[in-house]
Order: sequence, then C-alpha cells, then structure tokens
Amino acid sequence: MTVRYERDEPVSEPETPILDETVLADLGASVNDDRSFVVELIEAFLSDGAQQVTAIDAAHAAGDAEALVRPAHTLKSSSATVGAMRLSATARDLEMRGRSGALPDDTAARVERLHADWNASSEALRTWVSGGER
Amino acid sequence: MTARGVALVVDDSRVNRLVLVRHLAGLGLEAMEAENGAEALELLRATPSAFDLVLLDVLMPELDGYETLAAMKADDGLRHVPVLVVSGVEELDSVVRCIELGATDYLTKPINPRILEARIGASLAAKHLRDLELEYLEQQRLLTETIERQKTELSRFLSPQVARLISSPEGEQMLAGHRRQITVAFCDLRGFTSFAEQADPEELLGVLGEYHRMIGDAIVEHGGTLEHFAGDGVMVFFNDPVPQDDHVERAVRMAITMRERFAVLSDAWHKRGYELGFGVGIAVGYATLGRIGFEGRYDYGAIGNVVILASRLSSQAGPNQILLSQRAIAMVEGMVEVESVGELTLKGMSRPVAASNVVGVH
Repeated sequence: MTVRYERDEPVSEPETPILDETVLADLGASVNDDRSFVVELIEAFLSDGAQQVTAIDAAHAAGDAEALVRPAHTLKSSSATVGAMRLSATARDLEMRGRSGALPDDTAARVERLHADWNASSEALRTWVSGGER
Repeated sequence: MTARGVALVVDDSRVNRLVLVRHLAGLGLEAMEAENGAEALELLRATPSAFDLVLLDVLMPELDGYETLAAMKADDGLRHVPVLVVSGVEELDSVVRCIELGATDYLTKPINPRILEARIGASLAAKHLRDLELEYLEQQRLLTETIERQKTELSRFLSPQVARLISSPEGEQMLAGHRRQITVAFCDLRGFTSFAEQADPEELLGVLGEYHRMIGDAIVEHGGTLEHFAGDGVMVFFNDPVPQDDHVERAVRMAITMRERFAVLSDAWHKRGYELGFGVGIAVGYATLGRIGFEGRYDYGAIGNVVILASRLSSQAGPNQILLSQRAIAMVEGMVEVESVGELTLKGMSRPVAASNVVGVH
C-alpha cells in the first residue's frame, strides 16, 4: 500500500474501502453464519448512525469541540464493526479534532466528507442486505 | 439450560451492545444492557448479587467508564464484581487508567470472540471463588451469631461461667465430669418458712425477687458460679469452672457483701412487719463437678461432702452469721477475723464439726 501525504486526506485514504465485506463475513462466522443477526446489526447501525451524524453536525455548527467527541467516537467504533471502514476513519479524524479542544478551519470539509462516507456506506450496506451476499 | 452467569453490558452504542450480547449468549451467559454508567449503577445497586461480570465501555454520556468503575470500587456491594473494560485499540492509555481503578481486564474493539471467551472464563472463575468465599463467610457469620445468641440465652438460665464453658472447646470434657477443690457457699433466710405462711403470694414473690437480685449481683461481683436457687436457698461455688486461686477469700467476701446488703433490705422488710434473717455456710473440699441430671434436664452441679457440709453449716447459722468450716478458716487465716462458735453437731455427720462465724475482713 502506498501511503500518501496529501494535506486534505491525512487519515481516510481513498484506498480505505467504503465497505470491507470481509468484516461482515467474519462477523457472520463468529455467530455461526447467522445472517439475520448481521442484518439486524446493520439496521441498528443505519438507524443509530444517522443520529450520530446529526449530533456531529450540531456540534460542528455550534463550534463545540467537546460535544463532537462522543458521537464521532461511537460512529467510529460502530462503523468499524459493520465494515464501513472509510466512514470509521473519517469519524476517528473528527473525534481527534474534538479531543484537541479546537476545531480547525478545514473541519467543515471533514464533516462534508463524513456525510459522503455515510451516504456511500449506507448505500453499500443496504445493497449487501438486499443482495443476500455472504 | 442454566446460564453460566449474568453479565451487564454497558455501552452507549446499540451496535456494540448487540454484538457483545450475541457473543455472550454464545458463551452461555445471560446479558442485561445499560446505555451509560448511571443506568448501569442503578441496575447493579438494585440487585448486586445478580451480576457476575460487567463489560464496560469507556466513553459514554451521563457517567463514563472511569466514573462508573470508581463508583463500583467505592461500593462494598459491587467492589467484587469483575469489570472487563471494552475499548478501542488506540485507547490503551484509558485501559491503563481503568486497570489502575480496579478493572479486572480489558477487551479491544472490534470484539474477538475467542479473546472474549478466554477473558470471561478467567473473570467468572475468580468471581466464582469470591462468591464461595463470601458464602462461606456468611455461613460462618450466621454460625457465630447463633452461638452468641445461644450463649446470651444460656447465660440467662445458667451462671455466665457455665454458659461460657458450654460453648468453649474444652466444654465437653469439663461437663463430662472432673474433680477439683472448690469452696461452696450456701445461703438462706431465717424465718422464711413462717413468712411464707403469712404473706400474700404477691408479697412473697416481691420479697424473694429483691433478695434474689441482691444475691445475684453479689455472686457476679465476686465471680461465683451459681449452682441453683431453691426458694430462699442459694448454692454458689468458687474455683470452677473458672480456676480461682483465692476461692475461699472470694466466698467469704461475697458472703460479707451479701450480709451488708441484706441488712438494708431487712430494715425495709422489718417496717412492713417481716422478720427475716440471713445465714451462710461456707466449706472447702474436693467435689466432682459436671453435668448432673437426666436427658432433658441437666444442671452443672457439684457433688461431694463439701456440698453437704456447707449446706449443714448454713442450716446451723443464726441470723446474720457466716459459718466457716475448719479447713476454710485455715485457708484464709490472717485475712479474715472470725469468732469460734464451738463444735456443732450436724445432721448426717458422725462427728461434731468445729466452725467459726466471720466477723469481718482485715
């Protein structure tokens, strides 16, 4: 893997996949290939993740670095659980910014990126669910 | 199937909770869920014994993992519930802090079911041992409590010394019977029989009650073992079951105390028209001591000539006399001032017995 050091893309490399299906496969294998459980988990993620994105928007709009930390942290971890790796990386980046206590100017671009990742991940997960892929 | 245990999953992310609960179910554990530390503490405090394990996220609203952990460790009822901290790989600093706060172990997200199983197994084993220990301590406590209660109850019926003896390790041997030199003191009232004939039953019991309280206090003060009460007659012995080097002196001092206090009581009774006197007989000698009686009713008692001699001396004692046997006088010589009453012919004794009345102690 080539590591690029572009200023705008320090964390979520384009190579980071929107959906790492091996994560979903491993998850399925760990629960005796109970696909319905994986589907339930994805649905929980889609519904709760939307709330976290909204919370991140609100914290960003208010310029409240501290309020950004928790939803970004939760989104980082739950998206990684369902294989939404690029979204997880972007959420992690926002969590770190929140923890630093101040939101740099380019945070708006980062939040915009989060929305794009969220939409793409949701789309990919829904496709996975309806496609019956394993 | 009975669950191996009950775990509380504390995480603000529903996705994470779903995964953990599912894995726990696969390991035979029942799970309950809390969305934050405050909710978790509420559940834990409601039924502390219901949980065998807590899986605790660090970053949560309301009450975070650190605060929750600190609160659990400060709570006597929750301190021993193992806590596995669940955190991201990049949060090892927070893991260290949690271990310092008393967490049992940690797990990193995403959860690896094999590692989860190993960590849970270890925590449950530790918890199980701790539970056994607590159960044992509780049984021990109940047993001790029962013994203490029995001792308290027994001491209402028996002399405190005898009550203690029964619950002591050497009790059985002592109760089975042993010989020892003791001092026996018999006390009774002069004129009690005619008083009992005249007085109302209530009055009689009232007078006896005052007398017994006075006698009882003096026995306890001097460390005597009360063998029995029978109406106005009281038998006390010394040097058993607790050895007392000064057993004769103790008996004499007890009798003098009783005589002094009796004077106060009899003044009051005299004003009510009752003429009662107090007499004591004290003898020293070997007796067989132990459990006497039959299944269903045993007393701790003394058998021997010394008992008979003390009893006979008491019968012979005039009002306010404390009669000492020859041997008793010899053993407190110099400590006690006595006056001879000559040789007494006592019922059941083949030869006359020399005795002296106690005037006072030096």
